[in-house]
This record gives sequence, C-alpha cells and structure tokens, in this order.
Amino acid sequence: MLQHFDPNKDYGTPASVSEKMVTLEIDGVEVTVPEGTSVMRAAALHDINIPKLCASDNLEAFGSCRICAVQIEGRRGTPASCTTPVDAGMKVTTQNDKLAKLRRNIMELYISDHPLDCLTCPANGDCELQDMAGAVGLREVRYGFDGDNHLDSKKDQSNPYFTFDPSKCIVCSRCVRACEEVQGTFALTIDGRGFDSKVAAGQDEQFLDSECVSCGACVQACPTSTLMEKSVIDMGVPEHSVTTTCAYCGVGCSFKAEMKGDQLVRMVPAKEGDANHGHSCVKGRFAFGYATHKDRIKAPMIRDSIDQPWKEVSWEEAIGFAAKRLKDIQAQYGRESIGGITSSRCTNEETYLVQKLVRAAFGNNNTDTCARVCHSPTGYGLKQTLGESAGTQTFDSVMHSDCILVIGANPTDAHPVFGSMMRRRLREGASLIVMDPREIDLLNTPHLGDASHLPLRPGTNVAMVNALAHVVVTEGYEDKEFIAARCEGDAYAKWREFIIEERHAPENVEEITGVKAEKVRAAARKFATAKNSSIYYGLGVTEHSQGSTTVMGIANLALATGNIGREGVGVNPLRGQNNVQGSCDMGSFPHELPGYQHVANDEARTKFEKVWGVQLDNEPGLRIPNMFDAALSGDFRALYVQGEDIAQSDPNTQHVEAALSALDCLIVQDIFLNETAKFAHVLLPGSTFLEKNGTFTNAERRINRVRKVMAPIAGKEDWEVTVDLANALGYPMNYSHPSEIMDEIAQLTPSFVSVSYDRLDEHGSLQWPCNEDFPMGSPIMHTVDFPIGDAGKAVFAVTEFVPTTERANRRFPLLLTTGRILSQYNVGAQTRRTDNQAWHDEDILDIHPHDAEERGIKTGDWLGITSRAGQTVLRARVAERMQPGVVYTTFHHPGSGANVITTNNSDWATNCPEYKVTAVQVEKVSQPSEWQKNFQDNHERQYEFLRGSASSADAVK
Amino acid sequence: MFHTEEESIVTMINHIAQNNVSAGSESEVADVVENHIIKFWSRRMKNILVEQLESNGEQLEPASKIAAERIAAKAHASA
Repeated sequence: MLQHFDPNKDYGTPASVSEKMVTLEIDGVEVTVPEGTSVMRAAALHDINIPKLCASDNLEAFGSCRICAVQIEGRRGTPASCTTPVDAGMKVTTQNDKLAKLRRNIMELYISDHPLDCLTCPANGDCELQDMAGAVGLREVRYGFDGDNHLDSKKDQSNPYFTFDPSKCIVCSRCVRACEEVQGTFALTIDGRGFDSKVAAGQDEQFLDSECVSCGACVQACPTSTLMEKSVIDMGVPEHSVTTTCAYCGVGCSFKAEMKGDQLVRMVPAKEGDANHGHSCVKGRFAFGYATHKDRIKAPMIRDSIDQPWKEVSWEEAIGFAAKRLKDIQAQYGRESIGGITSSRCTNEETYLVQKLVRAAFGNNNTDTCARVCHSPTGYGLKQTLGESAGTQTFDSVMHSDCILVIGANPTDAHPVFGSMMRRRLREGASLIVMDPREIDLLNTPHLGDASHLPLRPGTNVAMVNALAHVVVTEGYEDKEFIAARCEGDAYAKWREFIIEERHAPENVEEITGVKAEKVRAAARKFATAKNSSIYYGLGVTEHSQGSTTVMGIANLALATGNIGREGVGVNPLRGQNNVQGSCDMGSFPHELPGYQHVANDEARTKFEKVWGVQLDNEPGLRIPNMFDAALSGDFRALYVQGEDIAQSDPNTQHVEAALSALDCLIVQDIFLNETAKFAHVLLPGSTFLEKNGTFTNAERRINRVRKVMAPIAGKEDWEVTVDLANALGYPMNYSHPSEIMDEIAQLTPSFVSVSYDRLDEHGSLQWPCNEDFPMGSPIMHTVDFPIGDAGKAVFAVTEFVPTTERANRRFPLLLTTGRILSQYNVGAQTRRTDNQAWHDEDILDIHPHDAEERGIKTGDWLGITSRAGQTVLRARVAERMQPGVVYTTFHHPGSGANVITTNNSDWATNCPEYKVTAVQVEKVSQPSEWQKNFQDNHERQYEFLRGSASSADAVK
Repeated sequence: MFHTEEESIVTMINHIAQNNVSAGSESEVADVVENHIIKFWSRRMKNILVEQLESNGEQLEPASKIAAERIAAKAHASA
C-alpha cells in the first residue's frame, strides 16, 4: 500500500531525518520508514490512523494522553505509539478489543470534565476531541457530571484575537509545548498538580499581560476550543481555503486564507510553506482586519491642488486626469521632469510594470523603490564582493549553523518566524554573537547557551567588522584552502595587507566602538573556529553612512573564514518588507533593469528595447532623495507612487514634505489616505494582497504565489491600474493576468528564466536563480563559483572606516537610533488599523537610566527630542536595554514625527539614509512640537477633504 | 547636515572618495570615484557636479576634483 505524503495531514510526530530505513509490520501491513520514526507516524504515513490527542507532528512526542496506545508483539503492556520508535521486524497491532476498551475508558474520563455543548461550541466541526470521541466509539460517561470539575473556570478574553476557556481544556500540554518548541517564548506553563493542573500564561496572568507574543501557535495546537480565534467564535468555521503569501515582513510565510464565501475568517500558517513550516507571528496570523477597515479608499479621486477637497470620479476620469497632467508636464518641462516609485509591498509583477511604465512610457529612468531607504547597500555590497545582490542561504540553513553572528538585526521582532527558528537552533546548542548597540531579545532566549553581546556605539560597524577580520587573519584562522580556490587573488592580497594593519586590532578599535578588545577577540575566534558560522544582518548594518562598506566587510568575514557555499553558513540580509528582494530584482533602481542588468549595458538594454518596443535611456535616473532635491529646484514636477508612504518613512520629514508640496502632480496609489496621499492630486485605490494575484520574493530569494481570495474593493488589482495609466499615456500594455507579466519577466531576466505560474503551482515555491543551470532553483548560492568576473571568484573589498559626520557634541549629546517592534509594521498604515494597537499604540523613546536620571526623566514623561534637522515630542521609557548615551524609538505612528529628527546623511554608495545615527538632545516638555501641531491640523483638514468627497458622491448618487 | 542640492552633490562625491581612499594614489581613487558616478549618478547629478567644479571647485577633495574634471571633459566632448 503506497501512500503519498500529504502536507496537510497531521502525522502525529515529527519526521525523522535518518537515511537508514527500517521495515516493520503494522496491522499486517509491511511498512518501511526512516529509523527514529515513531510507530504513530509510521502508521499514519500508510493511512493507518491511530487515535491521538496530545500528539501533533510539529511537536516532539509527549505521551501524556495514552489514547494512542498500541500492542507490540513480544512487548509488555500497551505502549504509546507516539513515544515508541519503530524497530526492524516489529509487529504492531493498532486496533483490537483491548485497545478499544482502553481508549474508550480514557476518553470517558476526559469527557467527564468537559462541557457537553458541542452544538453551540465554536469548534463544532473542527474539534479533535470531538473527532476522537467518535473514533473510539464513546457512547456513555458512567461517572456523571456531578463530581469535582473545571466547568465553571473563568474565560480569559484579554487577548484581542483569541479567547482562553479553561473549562474546555484537557491539559494535553500542546499549547505549552507549541509555545516552547515552535515559538520559543516559553510564556505558557502547566500550573498546579494533579486535579488542579491548568494551563497558565506567565505567572498565572491574563494572556495580554503575560510575555505571550500572540503568535497563535497555541491556538493552532489546541485540540479543543480552549484556545480559539475570536473571528471563528463570531463567524463560525470556515468552508474553504486558499493558499497565499503573507504581505508583512521579508520572511514571506505561506498561509491558508480560510474563508466563508468572500469573507476571511482566519489565516492559518501552511505546514507546507517552505519559509515558515506552519508557524506565524501576530501580524501574519491575526492582523488582517485592515483589509476591510472603514478607512479603505474605495473610489478614485482627483483634485487640482492639495488645498482642495477630493472629488470622487470614475476610473476612466482619474486615469485620464493623471495621464494628461503627466503629458502636459513633460511637454513643458522635459522628459526627465517626471518619475515613479515602485513598492516593496506590492507584487513582483506590479513592481515590474511600474518600472516598465517609467522607462518605456515616461521615457526616462527616474524609477526607485523604498529599498533605497533600507537595503540598497545590500544590493551594492554583495554585488561587489559575491556577484549577486541577494542573501546566500535558505532560512532552514540556520538549523545547520554552529555559530550565529547577528549584526544590527532584531529577528524576534522584525522577522519573528525566522527568529523562532533561530531560537530553536540556539536551544540546540549553537553559539550566538550579537553586534548591536541594544540588548536585543535574542540574547534573552530561554535555554540559550554560549552567547556574547558586542554593544558597540552606533555608527561603528565597519570598525568592528574590520577588527573581527583582523583577528581572523592575524591569529591564523583564515580558511586558506577556500580563499585559494574560490577568491580572486589580487583583491585578497590587497585586502589582507589592509586588514592586518595594527590600526584594525581590537585594542586600537576599542576607543571607537566602546567594546572591550578581549571580547572582540573571543567573538572572532568563536566565529572562525565553529564548523559552520553564519551571519544575519538587518537595517542596523545598512542604514548608516557606511552601510555599503559594512556589507562588504561582512562578505569579507564570511569569505576569509570559508563560510560561504554550503548549509549552515553564508551572508543573510534580513529584508524588512515582504517584497524588498523582489522590488530590487524587478529593476526598480534607476540604474538597473530587471535582473540587475545595468541600463548602460547595450546588450541587455537592446533586449528590453526589442520586447518593449521603445528606445530606452542609457543613463541612470534619479534616486528618491534626488527626486526630492530636483522637485525643490523646480526641475522635477510629477511623481507616481504605488504603495509607499515616503512622507512618513523617509528621513528629514520637513524636507520631504516641502518637496512633495512643490510637485505639480502627485499620483498616489494606496489602500489608505496615507501621509504621502495628503500631498497628492490623484488618489487611486490600491488592492490588498488578499485582492490580487501575483508573487512575492522573500529574503531567501524564494518566489511565492500570492492568490486572490476576494474581489478588489475598488474593482481593480494594482497591476491593472498601471496598465490603464500606460495605455492612457499612449504606451500599449496588454496583459490579461499577472502570469503573463511573469512570463515576460522570465523572458528578460536571466535568473528567472525557468519561473512560471505553472511551475510555482507545481513546486509551491522556487528560489532564484531558476534557469537552465538551476531548473529547480537555488536554495544555497555560490556552491561552486560566484557570478562575478570571468573566473567566477569572489572579490575581497578594502573596507576603510570613515566615521559619520553626524556626531554627538555638547548641544546634541545623545545618539538616536530608530527601529521596529513586533506588533507594528513599517509605517503602521496596516497594523495601526488592527487590534495590534493593544500592544503599541504610540511610539516611545527608550532612554538609559543614567541619561534619564541626569535629566530628571521618568517613564511616562513627555520629552522634546531635538536634532540638527528638527524637533518632535515623545513619551519616555527608562530602559536598561539601552546603553548610556544612546536613545531609541520606532516610527510606526505618523504623529510621532520620528523622521522629523532624522537627518539627510546617507550611505556613500547608495544614498540609503542614516536612520541609525542622529545626534539629539532630550529634555522634558509639556506640549507637542510645532511640527506635530501642524501635522495634526493638516491631518484633520485632509480627512475633512476626504469625507467631503464621499458625501458629495453620495449626493450625486 | 547639508542644506542645498549643490552642497549635497559636493558632500556625496567627497564621501565616495573618502570611503575609497585605500584604492591607492589620488589618481587611482579618482578612478573609483569616476566609475562610481558614471554607473550610479543621474544625468542631472552629473551636470550639477560639473557646474560645481567650475563655481565651487575648492570644496572638492583632490581625488574628487580629478574625477569631476574627467567627467566634465567627457561631458564637453559628447556635447
């Protein structure tokens, strides 16, 4: 009997990775499975389904419910099949009278302390306890219901997304184990003993008050309705599902969108998801309410000036209005007076179309993307050294790492599902080195072993990475064989000469970084001597004036120690938004066509010209900051922005606002009236990821399908709007489905040649490069050679440390660094319109106790934060995790004005803003800043303009 | 912090030169700067650089100046 593996089925215990096979007999059927497989799983793989309650194949076997008892020839008793590994020649019986009686007796005990309200229970039809009662043939409960029980236990409804009803709990510990094994938070426990045993959050607190991060792994693990989504309680059990990809961070989790008609009931992480393996975070699983929020823009709108109310119009009128303005502006001010910004939140197909629109229909290369302000140094730095602008590994690769170096990243907040995987590997014994000004939560991982924190001063990454490499080389830890075989010799010799200079020694760098030399040496030795060492980094690397240099320094470190080209190693940029990798791949940058083909490369450009039917400019266009400067000088007059909120996310807000105000025509395509849209003349309704088809590419280069589960709220998917605009401008675009756009991408992009919707549907996902050389994609890159130079050898880069000009002084004595938190996402436009507000409804300034005491600051005080760029006011939180002299805030709420104070300093190679270093002074104040007062006034005025448009449209109707 | 687009252009080219000082002599650093600007800067940025070379050249560091002069020469040649 041959059964195919069904990823949706629960096989009871995890798969064994053993390559040795074992043959046994179960109910007379001969089965062969990997050694280490449980009897339960071996049976389930052959469709012999043993009843179970406490077992689940995403958790280690626990053996507490005993429902899965079996008999094994030659062995005493009735062992639990979940905790019993297979043995060669074993003969297992899973069903007979004795086992049936045993299972019924166990089930009878469970049900004697369980409410019999199945018909009104929210889990009715989706309850494992109910299923198992049926499976074991329970017909009566002889004990009655009058004895001691837990039926009156109080429900905890504190979490905005799920309830905890202890009266329905069977204490199987699945939730507790999911919190530990899957999520790694250890927020749940079994409190009490014997009959008093109960599941408790934290120190027997309400869920919302505990350290629970609301990932929902416990809800998914619960076999009853003890832990239950509130949306299911409200709407009932879903009736169909569609597999799609999360639109939050760069992990790119696969989900089953579980539906009732066109209503989304819940998001369940897909077990077969190659990036997330059935896990999720609070954003992906629960924070989807924004899609149906009342603030959604439901019709196109236009206005002549930003001081006027919006006028609701038809799609045809809005597109016609936009096209006419663009054409008139180009006629008056020239071809280069307009441009566009693609979105890292939109699909690959949409991003591709926007840059195509700019290059082919606008006739210039003034296209850029928000990757400019996050990971553009990754693109530059990795291309220079490794030849490809992308991370080298899969997420799963971390499970083979023995030493994990995390630089300027906070995975448990910003990439939570990968953070959980990393924590699992740390619990298994991998060592951890964190290079970050703050003590990030990863350092507080329960059961963490060998870990060290290098709390360097903001802006000193290059000095630190150079110091680590100096130790590697001068103490003889280089992987000489790897370097000789895989790296370009002259560049290596030059770099080696540079890095061994005494000025890079940890003892000489100590004064710059503030980290003790011995600690740096120990970290370098640990990294260099582990069998597999990997580097993970985030925006704490890129968002500096030397971001590109640090990226190259990271590549140098990996190359020098031979940690490239196999499982467990590599250079891994953790991309911020869902499709940052994709938006870069799709040619959003002004100097590169899709697939990182330079616009000045005649061969590449000619290929595009032939397919697109136009002549293309061979000079790079404007980057986002250049667009702002050109707008202020009057040379740049119109901008099409799809799905980005540059007015909130870009630095030096007052400069950005002045530039946007100077435009003659700003076209914003978004799902809400975001901050940028307040400066717009045309507002085109966007569609959420639930309302369209396409693909996202995550941080591991994995191309995942986005599938439409409901109709677009305003009638058009985002790609259709770009097509309409192109056609209105006189440049024909004819696509009937995003799959046709992907076919064009594959035709023009060497790394996407073998990508198509059919192949994605067949394989689930594919990691580029995916072409003739790698038809099944490339989970790990650079295994044989590097796509650089004729010889395919990696290039060491000399990484001079040039300190930022943004320095603390007497007037601005503190350094501000900005970042993200778990419950909110980027500018917060989506998550602020969900119940995630329960965790973070305002941006807070974290300050070290010493700095707080010096200024008489207490938690909760209002603080004025002043930099060379501006001033804003935030509430204070005194936090030990900060180092003295450094303050921190997030930028999720527009009224916070976090970017009013960030400066226009930027990375030397890519102009990525230096968000991570701003010299500031902090003092107690009693009222909002001037900018905040103006912001509030404008916010109210612009919303009034929006409400006016809706009421006038109603009146017309 | 800089305040005008012209200041920004001068700051940026000097910044590129500073970060590539290890390339060698002033001329070799200028090679890197020139290639970087040709590859990544827009036509408009290059034009402002050429204007700055003529009106504000003393703000350019030596390697930046050499690179800017080469870019200006190419611009004049192709004009």
